[in-house]
Amino acid sequence: MKNDLLWVEKYRPKKIEDIVGNEEAKALFVEWLRSKRRSKKAVLLYGPPGVGKTALINAASKEFGFIVIEMNASDTRSEKAINKVAAPATSYVALDNFSTRSNGNVLFLDEVDGIAGNEDRGGVGAIIKIVEDSLVPVIMAANDPDIDKLRPLKKVCLLVRFQHVRIPLIIALLQKICLLEHIKAEFEALERIAQNSRGDVRSAINDLQSLSEENHVLTLQDTMGLSSRNKDISMDETLRGFFSVKSMADAQKLLSYSSVDYDDFLLSVSDNLPKRFTNPGELAAAYDYVSRADMYRGRIGTENWHLLKYFFNEMAQAAAVAPQSYKPFELISPPIRIITLFWTKGKRSMLDGICGKIGAQCHVSHAIAKQDFVPFIKEMLQKKNAAARIAEWFNFTSEEIDFLVKMNKY
Amino acid sequence: MVAVLNKKGFKLPRVEKEKFISLMHLGLDYNREQGLFSIKSCNNIENLMDTIGSILNAEVVFLQTCTRCGKDFPCSNCKYNELCTSKDLPFSCVCPQCLQDRKQYEEYLMKF
Repeated sequence: MKNDLLWVEKYRPKKIEDIVGNEEAKALFVEWLRSKRRSKKAVLLYGPPGVGKTALINAASKEFGFIVIEMNASDTRSEKAINKVAAPATSYVALDNFSTRSNGNVLFLDEVDGIAGNEDRGGVGAIIKIVEDSLVPVIMAANDPDIDKLRPLKKVCLLVRFQHVRIPLIIALLQKICLLEHIKAEFEALERIAQNSRGDVRSAINDLQSLSEENHVLTLQDTMGLSSRNKDISMDETLRGFFSVKSMADAQKLLSYSSVDYDDFLLSVSDNLPKRFTNPGELAAAYDYVSRADMYRGRIGTENWHLLKYFFNEMAQAAAVAPQSYKPFELISPPIRIITLFWTKGKRSMLDGICGKIGAQCHVSHAIAKQDFVPFIKEMLQKKNAAARIAEWFNFTSEEIDFLVKMNKY
Repeated sequence: MVAVLNKKGFKLPRVEKEKFISLMHLGLDYNREQGLFSIKSCNNIENLMDTIGSILNAEVVFLQTCTRCGKDFPCSNCKYNELCTSKDLPFSCVCPQCLQDRKQYEEYLMKF
């Protein structure tokens, strides 16, 4: 699909004043970006998705002649990766400053709250170092700035808070799009779309396009389907509907109306496919589509929602592999992985505590303690003459000793 | 009691030094010449409104500026007030009259 066929792309704000709502946040950010002597070298824009953070950065950078060098959530943002991309971008004043009207680079790190896990190890520290040494403005965006790992980052940033965009402002924007797209829309219909969006401009524009693009007329009746999204169709209902669809179109419609968590839904579908498709060929085909949907889900992250239709499309194809073979079955829900994690939580925390004690005494990491020490300690605890000394040295409790002796998985 | 304030400038009764410093920390600015307070930062707006409310002994509401007609109006005039998830902030919105007046909006768009 061409970008201009998607209204969210077509009406993506080109200028700062095109961005609806959050006037104070816009003014604060623009003042910071324009300033020659910035009190803070970095800015963190934070707030819910779909309120214009990324749009403002792109529009403002364009307006003030900055070249945006972006690292988003789909890139690995470990210390090494950040130093490789961001350090050169922030260390030199671009040569084309002299030949073009460019004001130089700005480094934009999107979804910094998503920097997590082993892949992104050292990422926050590297960003702070970049900010301290940077010769160019550093801009960051996050949905949730209150997570602990961002605390040191917040100290070096100017914080700009974004709020949900208000219903009247969303209605006003939808009215503008209707006017430009020659759509005759009832006010009540736009009102319902705006209310349903819950302050997310992107989803409101998507809803408007899906409901009115074909007929160029939008009535309140047309928006009735949206209410089912608000009703929160449960995971169970969505799964049952999904596995019993007669066609791809039915599956797509169901998915677009459901508000289940897409990650949980993907896991649930994956767990239930063998129950739904007993024919190995059909099962393989369905898993193939689900694996591609999973790939799109990964690319969507929290930002690229324009890819959602591809996720829906792949899932719908998985559901419609063999509609004629559907027989009711008992669903596995919630997903096995989540159930397993839930049931083993106590055991995992017990083992973590044991590994912590081993690590402290033997100066090794949790992983080494778990892998190399636990099996031997288990063996030694079963020897009567050594058990008491071992337990005392590691300071194990009686529950921990019991757990180690009875455990059969390391 | 509800106190409707204009974010561009409002007066507060004299407060003690600690309270004044706390207001500045929460994001207020003070114009000595005019004797008016104004909002400098909105990052702590909820705490700021609570503090101002405790000084005035009233519920604090800020006036909104209509992005179309430029008039100031309180959120209480808006029929979406109950559903609104960002009451009082930002300080600009579309007033109920402008939202309903489609003809006026088309004229407004023609300017661009």
